[in-house]
Amino acid sequence: MEAAAPAPRHALSPAELRRRCDPARLAFATTAELEGLDDAPGQARATQALEFGVGMQREGYNLFAMGPEGYGRHTLVLQRLAAQALDRAVPADWCYVFNFKSPHRPRALRLPAGEAPAFTAAMARLVEDLSAAIAAAFETDEYRNRHQQIHAELEERHERAINEIGEKARAQGIALVRTPSGFGFGPFNKKGDAVMEPEEFAQLPAADQKRYEEHVSQLQKETADVLHQMPRWRREALDRMRSLDREVTRTAVVSLIEELKAGYAALPDVQEYLEQVKEDTLEHAGAFRQKKDGEPPTLFGIPIAAPEAIEAPLRRYAVNVLIEHSGKRGAPVVYEDHPTHAALLGRIEHLSQMGALVTDFTLIRAGALHRANGGYLVLDALTVLTQPYAWEALKRALRGRVVDVRTLGQELGIISTVSLEPEPVPLDVKVVLVGERRLYYLLHAWDPDFAELFKVTVDFEEDMPRGPGDDERYARLIAGCVRREKLRSLDRAACARVIEQQARDAGDAHKLSVRVQALVDLLREADYWAGVAGRDVIGEPEVRRAIEAQIARSDRLRGRMQEHIVRGSLLVDTTGSRVGQANGLAVVQLGDFAFGTPHRITARVRLGAGRVVDIERESELGGPVHSKGVMILSGYLSGRYVLSKPLSLAASLVFEQSYGGVEGDSASSAELYALLSALAGAPLSQSLAVTGSVNQHGDIQAVGGVNEKIEGFFDLCASRNLTGEQGVLIPQANVKNLMLREDVVAAVEQGKFAVYAVASVDEGIELLTGVPAAELHRRVEARLAEFAERAREFVAAAGKRPWRPDRKK
Amino acid sequence: MRISRVIACFAPGAGAGPAAVARLARDMQAELVGLFLQDETLLRFAALPFAAEVGFASAATRALDSATLERALRSQAAALERALAAVLDPAALAWSFRVARTSPASAVEAALAEGYAPALLIPPRGSLRAERSVVRAPQLNPEVLRELLAAARPVLILPA
Repeated sequence: MEAAAPAPRHALSPAELRRRCDPARLAFATTAELEGLDDAPGQARATQALEFGVGMQREGYNLFAMGPEGYGRHTLVLQRLAAQALDRAVPADWCYVFNFKSPHRPRALRLPAGEAPAFTAAMARLVEDLSAAIAAAFETDEYRNRHQQIHAELEERHERAINEIGEKARAQGIALVRTPSGFGFGPFNKKGDAVMEPEEFAQLPAADQKRYEEHVSQLQKETADVLHQMPRWRREALDRMRSLDREVTRTAVVSLIEELKAGYAALPDVQEYLEQVKEDTLEHAGAFRQKKDGEPPTLFGIPIAAPEAIEAPLRRYAVNVLIEHSGKRGAPVVYEDHPTHAALLGRIEHLSQMGALVTDFTLIRAGALHRANGGYLVLDALTVLTQPYAWEALKRALRGRVVDVRTLGQELGIISTVSLEPEPVPLDVKVVLVGERRLYYLLHAWDPDFAELFKVTVDFEEDMPRGPGDDERYARLIAGCVRREKLRSLDRAACARVIEQQARDAGDAHKLSVRVQALVDLLREADYWAGVAGRDVIGEPEVRRAIEAQIARSDRLRGRMQEHIVRGSLLVDTTGSRVGQANGLAVVQLGDFAFGTPHRITARVRLGAGRVVDIERESELGGPVHSKGVMILSGYLSGRYVLSKPLSLAASLVFEQSYGGVEGDSASSAELYALLSALAGAPLSQSLAVTGSVNQHGDIQAVGGVNEKIEGFFDLCASRNLTGEQGVLIPQANVKNLMLREDVVAAVEQGKFAVYAVASVDEGIELLTGVPAAELHRRVEARLAEFAERAREFVAAAGKRPWRPDRKK
Repeated sequence: MRISRVIACFAPGAGAGPAAVARLARDMQAELVGLFLQDETLLRFAALPFAAEVGFASAATRALDSATLERALRSQAAALERALAAVLDPAALAWSFRVARTSPASAVEAALAEGYAPALLIPPRGSLRAERSVVRAPQLNPEVLRELLAAARPVLILPA
């Protein structure tokens, strides 16, 4: 009865299984004749977004270039930015200089592009000139004489004051005596040429002794008064010496600094800084007179490092060039591949001196934001997000439009030692984050600042249309890659083979993958095999070998799974027929490599309460999408059969020998076929495998991985010898995705294998059972009606309602 | 003309710094004779019952007795000798240091009697920066010597 009506067959022709690229239509001998592409194929949307984002000079219009790895996001972004940057002005140079008013807050100085090194050299030369000029000024006779005069006057003043006391004492018959630490007074002897002997003093009348003692006491008091005056006299003398020093220094310094200031007349900040240098120089002229040479300092006889680094007095006049653009063209384009907090904002280095860490403005180092200031900064989103505090620092810089060099210790408040707080540098930068789509959506959902700061989305396509002329265009993309990578050229056949492989990579006969990294890898490997074969040009065999070698390196697990099936450890039939049993197809994705493998799906039915039990779900091995697919089967059965009676069916479905979980609904059509087979008692052909999801109306819907699934079943059949009866049912909607391996296509051409495209359950069940759909449905209807009748009888006998569902407690 | 000796006089609480004097002798490559002149007057003064000194730096008045003065003089003499040694020992120059308790003129006269003119005499209150006076050795008698020692100028003593 099953063989009575020939099943409507929907076998696809070989041409539908693989859309070839005809080498004859490629108008070149080798890719060496082709120009590379100027634009990125398939990335028109991304390119337009990029150009908009780069051109939009408004706050918050930073860019997020999103898409999977390997699609040329970095290359395209950097190329476009580099092109755009050439039309923009070279940004200013920035330096840090000493802040004479507040030394812990180094001052940022802006200089025209490329002028920072000259300013640094000019300041170094100024310090040298000042050293020479000041030293010379202090060596003049005039200075020396005036200095000695002040010194002598002070000494004279001291001596005069003491002498006056001495004279006064002498008039009273008392001698002034200089002791090791001061002055004393004693009565003269009778001759008046020396201090009286103690014995002589003892013989004096008591009144005379008392008188001497009173005079001495008074003289001591007066001497003390004079000595109290001496520090003031010394300070006055020092003030005069300082005035003299300033006077002499000013003469030496003013002309030199004014000359330098004249060169920076257009830069008020630099002028102001130089004015401060002048004033500071007058105050610290002594620093310019110190000898540079000398014995190194020692600690307990051990030589220690000279205090050149931080304490060198002239270091305050140095210029720390933070960023300079001499000899550059256009705006900077910076790609920071390790965007730590310090790498972005810059850092403040320290020197170790005598066991302590010290720093100053010359140890401030630029970060990526400084380097990219006035241009573009490209960062990997994931890397920024995984570096501690880097993301917050980047956002703060973009919001505040300044780069504030602060160490993490300062930001977190965990370092309380004195450090620097450099003046922030104004920031004008366009940041391009490169990352995966999920990162973009995560940031959009969870970071309220993100949408404000990154308004431009650059969304990269994963494939491009494969319309007329696109194969030739793609050949130019290949030619560009070959040239860039310095590889051997490809001949036409090789190029066509690469194009077909890219369509396969896209999983669509009418599209081409733009995963540039995979393309370049394939070309490099084909070039390697061409080298092994001693060829000057890459031919089709080398491309094929490269593809096969890539697969061979990755398909160990596929081989093991197939071996298990062939040896009977995993039960999958490829011949015969059986009731309630279908061959489903699953795709396993391991890293970059995906392969298909068949699975046995079985269904059992009996009288019950109208439930289709998904054993995968009950055992918690099935995912939600798979469970949804099975539930749809209940909907199909309820809406298709015995509408006037309750569905009194208990069915169970299972992926046999599945131990690792099942997800997706691509097996739902196979499950429905197994269920219908079990209900109708119609055996399903085991030489066919099935993929496709089904809806409640019985339409077969598209699924993913169709090429891998077909090839998976083909490989199993081929290992058991092809019978000519074997084949795979796929959804009609998936025909456009077919880019099957050449050996599969060859087997179909030879009638050894078949691929069927079905649009409905009816078409599929006819192929699988050989029974017309109407007949099969009639059988199912009859079986379900029988279940319903038996349920009614059973309930009537038991006095219960028949269709009350089991309620879980 | 090369000066072969520097005779530097030091007095309690006065005179050029010993390091400066030693550097001068080193730079001139001359032998240095350091004379620490402890005037008898000072010792007599300390023996008086009401002897006291007014400190130069502190301006405070404190009692002074012979024992205290002796200690201070010994300490100052040791400090002077150390200061001279610090400069002259590394330079491997001949030098000596003496403490004299006679009159300053006698002590200097004794040192000059050892010969080695031309010599540079630095009085106890002499300033190294001051202009030098010049005398011939035969002109030196106690009276002249007392005057020279009382002045602040270094004296260049030339042979006859």
